[in-house]
Amino acid sequence: MDAVHPSAWAFVVVALGGALLSVSLRNILHAIFGLALALFGIAGLFLYLGSPFVAAMEVLIYVGGISVAMVFAVMLAYSLGKKEGGSTRRFLAVVPVGGFFGVVGYALLRASFAVTSKTGSWDLKLVGRKLLLDYNVVFEALSVVLLLAIVGAIIIARRDEKTGDDKTADEKAASKGNDAASAEERAS
Amino acid sequence: MTMINELLVFAAVLFVIGVIGVIIRRNTLIVLMSVELMLNAANLTFIAFSRARGDVLGHGFTLMIIALAAAEAAVGLAIVVAVFRSHKTVNVDKFNLMKR
Repeated sequence: MDAVHPSAWAFVVVALGGALLSVSLRNILHAIFGLALALFGIAGLFLYLGSPFVAAMEVLIYVGGISVAMVFAVMLAYSLGKKEGGSTRRFLAVVPVGGFFGVVGYALLRASFAVTSKTGSWDLKLVGRKLLLDYNVVFEALSVVLLLAIVGAIIIARRDEKTGDDKTADEKAASKGNDAASAEERAS
Repeated sequence: MTMINELLVFAAVLFVIGVIGVIIRRNTLIVLMSVELMLNAANLTFIAFSRARGDVLGHGFTLMIIALAAAEAAVGLAIVVAVFRSHKTVNVDKFNLMKR
């Protein structure tokens, strides 16, 4: 593995800061911006690791797609400024998680991984060939998963017209009145 | 300087931040965002090993994880919107319809 330029640490700092912001901020919109920042940092790291295509996909799908979808979900589902609540004992969870990280981090720092001297010259053609020839079943399964996810998301998020459980009582009364009026029209 | 150990530790840090976010925060959207962070930690690990070993397969798996994350986010956000309609809240602790 050829050396990564030390300036990659700037992206590490950006990604770490963004991640911390996204889990700690109270305002949900600010948290989403923190997530976008973290994803930008990770995309920058992908660039340093010699995979510009994955970096571009990261920015396109995560920053351009998922973050924006979350902003839309906030507009649809969340009234800003609501208090979150919850027990403070939950913060004790930091202890086992921190312990887990201590063990894993210590092991990762001590370990020496088999590093090839090959330069990391990777080829988009090679990735495509791997995906479409050697791992084509995974690829096709993934396309089915994406299709099902899209259809499922639409079905879940759709308003139920029949029961109309989303409507307020006034709206229900109004629509009932309309129905009655249209029925009268049809009768006459 | 090969940065692989440091990058792996950083990926572990990202993963741990995601886990803590899932456990501590009560807002469903933030829980979803923390899951995205954990997936990205896995992506970073894949790419770091892919580069270290000179094997291109890690890129393929990273692309698959990204696609799965997009699907997961779509379904997750749809569920959040649907549950908000019936419960008028996004607090995870209030989602106990199946418990009753």
